Amino acid sequence: MTFSDDRPTMIEFRDVHKYYGDYHALRGINGTIKAGEFFSLLGPSGCGKTTLLRTIAGFEDISSGVVMIDGKDMAGVPPNVRPTNMVFQSYAIFPHMTVAENVGFGLRKDPRSKQEKARAVAEALEMVGLKGFGNRAAHALSGGQRQRVALARALILKPKVLLLDEPLSALDKKMREHMQVELIKLQRQVGITFILVTHDQEEALVMSDRIAVMFEGEIAQLADPETLYRRPNSKKVADFIGTMNFIPAEVLSESGDKVEVEAKGLGRVTIDASAAPAAKGESPVVGLRPETMTLLYDDQKAIERETAGVIDEVIYFGDMTYYDVYLGGTDVEVRLSMRNVPGRPVLDVGEKVRVAWSPSALVLFR
Amino acid sequence: MKKAPILRGFTLAYLLFLYSPIILLPIFAFNDSRVVAFPLTGFTLNWFSEMLGDVNLRNAAKNSLIIALSVASLSTVLGIFAARASVRYSFPGKAPLMGLIMLPLVLPEMIVAMALLVVLLSLNITLSLLTVIIGQTLICTPFAVAILTSAFQSLDRSLEEAAMDLGETQWSTFRLIILPLVMPGILVSFLICFTISFDEFIIANFLGSGQPILSVYIFGQFRFPAKVPSMLALGTVLVLFSIILLGVAEYFRRRGIAKAGGKDTGGFL
Amino acid sequence: MAATPKSEARAGLKLISPTAIYVILLLAVPLATVLVYSVMTGGRGVVALPLTIENYARLWSQPVYGFIMFKSLMVALTVTLITVLLAYPVAYYVSFHVRPERKSLWLFLITIPFWTSYIIRVSLWFVILGYDGVLDRALISLGIMDTQLNFASYGIPAIIFVLAHAYAPFAVLPVFVSLEKVDRSLLEAGQDLGETRWRTFLRVTLPLSMPGVIAAALIVFIPTVGDYVTPRLVGDGKEPMIANFIETQLLRLQNMPQGSAFAVASMTMVGIVSIAFVLLNRRFLRGQK
Repeated sequence: MTFSDDRPTMIEFRDVHKYYGDYHALRGINGTIKAGEFFSLLGPSGCGKTTLLRTIAGFEDISSGVVMIDGKDMAGVPPNVRPTNMVFQSYAIFPHMTVAENVGFGLRKDPRSKQEKARAVAEALEMVGLKGFGNRAAHALSGGQRQRVALARALILKPKVLLLDEPLSALDKKMREHMQVELIKLQRQVGITFILVTHDQEEALVMSDRIAVMFEGEIAQLADPETLYRRPNSKKVADFIGTMNFIPAEVLSESGDKVEVEAKGLGRVTIDASAAPAAKGESPVVGLRPETMTLLYDDQKAIERETAGVIDEVIYFGDMTYYDVYLGGTDVEVRLSMRNVPGRPVLDVGEKVRVAWSPSALVLFR
Repeated sequence: MKKAPILRGFTLAYLLFLYSPIILLPIFAFNDSRVVAFPLTGFTLNWFSEMLGDVNLRNAAKNSLIIALSVASLSTVLGIFAARASVRYSFPGKAPLMGLIMLPLVLPEMIVAMALLVVLLSLNITLSLLTVIIGQTLICTPFAVAILTSAFQSLDRSLEEAAMDLGETQWSTFRLIILPLVMPGILVSFLICFTISFDEFIIANFLGSGQPILSVYIFGQFRFPAKVPSMLALGTVLVLFSIILLGVAEYFRRRGIAKAGGKDTGGFL
Repeated sequence: MAATPKSEARAGLKLISPTAIYVILLLAVPLATVLVYSVMTGGRGVVALPLTIENYARLWSQPVYGFIMFKSLMVALTVTLITVLLAYPVAYYVSFHVRPERKSLWLFLITIPFWTSYIIRVSLWFVILGYDGVLDRALISLGIMDTQLNFASYGIPAIIFVLAHAYAPFAVLPVFVSLEKVDRSLLEAGQDLGETRWRTFLRVTLPLSMPGVIAAALIVFIPTVGDYVTPRLVGDGKEPMIANFIETQLLRLQNMPQGSAFAVASMTMVGIVSIAFVLLNRRFLRGQK
């Protein structure tokens, strides 16, 4: 899952700011995107992720800072000469043209012969699974097909970077999941840098080599999906990515690479310093993902730690069941998820349970 | 749909009322009597041949055609500038400027005509077909702007960005993407402005300095009972002409909507 | 493509400049000229200094000006009332009782007469309603009347009738548009809550469609109050309205300052009435959204 750091840099942001009048849309973006990387900009709407993508494409001027693509400063370079191509959220398929005319649009000034261009268009269509669709009218396509046309149209120019602005948000759930896999395969096949903008954390986790989580015009954390999920660097990131239980805690002592805390309902725990990002001045809490906890059945024993609890709520999902459990006679309630397997009946509200958990799954925010 | 016989009857009566004078046009245009009255006396094409033989009328028609083609072209071009600017950009003074451009919609034509006339007279400019064109363009431009604004609005901004992203300049983007997509709107604007100009009377009358122009000529001829039948023949031809132009305009409007992949939401204006 | 406000403003201004220059030179300047003339000293063919409010004072002191304005206002308001009252049921029928795919056709049918030559339509009424015209002959030959009615000479009623016909289609569209916007589930909710269909109309549909009614009134009122052709053709030309009177002042009497003052005063009056309509509209809009 981890991405090798020795690849050359494709895009570099140096203290990028963007103002719309008084509104500060990008507040000092720094970071690099590697060549051949599948990179995602993830965040809630209005966090500046699309603005950042558009500064790469050249649709937005930046107010200060530097955007470099492949070692060149992009200041004053218009979108039509940047080595990037974009798949728009609305796909922006030209409605008055056929599929082939759309895909071949960027080849207008290409010196190749007509036949060679037609071949290139056919190849691009085949790559996105639309072989033989060339003569269809663009306005007669389904959502998924439009998206493929937009992909083929952008990739035919062999850009160094492909920019995707929420490309899957207009599709239904099934189609979206299908296209996620297709996009990953496509990216491996063409090997160029993909930069995806999305507000869907699951989508970002599934598809990306690395993810930049953005809030209010700033990158909150830039990391690979696993690190992001297991070692979020702030409560905010932890809360945005997946579900996390936050349990009030008290820091008892700190020595070297260990932090000792008293977590309400869990007791005294020693946490690795790598799971305790720098203090932000908030009241300390420990975070615990639902799937890192397990309910113990009759004869089972906890591998590491065990805490007694009472079930407060049961939410049945078919393959999974979520339990909200009060821990150790306190008012601290955590949600944990259990896979429904034969021989393990779904438990009822009010039942007394034992919860198994591991100190290594804890993250401390303070 | 629920049946509503009273409402339906009322609506049909209303339509009959709207069409009542126009229906008389073809009836009396083919009636073999100089007196316009029932009962009809017989069928004739005399009034049409009288109309075609009228040199003054031919002259007036030619002038009207020159004026209407010029006004439609000029208004549509001015409308493209204003509509594109107002849809695409925000700039200081936008609201008052657009207000001024649209003002003739809510100003009686007589006021526009007189204001312009006062200035033209004080500058000693000779009234001619050109002054009529200038005046009517003021009247028609708001219609062009309204039609073209909705054409530009239905254009997805990302289509432009996509074209630029794929290597086109601003100008080639306009030529390859924007122009073809708003073309139906441009045609509709042209046809509507043409129709308005062709039928317009007040500016033609006051800024035309007695030049033969069709609407002015018709206005004058209706006072002479002997001339009425050939005017009815002319009216028949003009109404037919208007309906055909509007049919064409409606066709393009719908095609424009279909092209942009939208849904039909009603008629003109 | 740059989206910084400054360059965007420049691009927008550059693009709109041809149209803007056209309307500033040929509309704003002439209107301003009329405004300036209205406070200058005038006489037959004379426009001179000093500045004076004499022209406006005369509008007050000589009853003919006020009379013409009042008459035009009454005619236009009557026409507005008639057209809107006639248009409402038609718009209602098309909006509520016509199948959606047939609506454009109905609207097209209603708008066609509006797009045919106004001069021809008004002139036809003159032929129909005039002395010994189609109506007179029909009435006499049917034995209903024994002398010519000559309705066209009936002055103001005839003017009102012809104007109401000429501007009828204008009123249907805005009312129709506002009726289309009425959420149909509100009506079902109204009836579900025990209201009769008529009470639902009064309490839900009518208030919601009021903005359209006001817009329709405005669209009819402004051109009718300034109409020139109908008062000249119908009513034997003996009932001049604002536009005819402006013509007389400016062109026949050649008194530009006096004519300008009259035009400015008339437009002010039209403006005040229009603003009153708009304020009414606001009142009804406030209840929504």
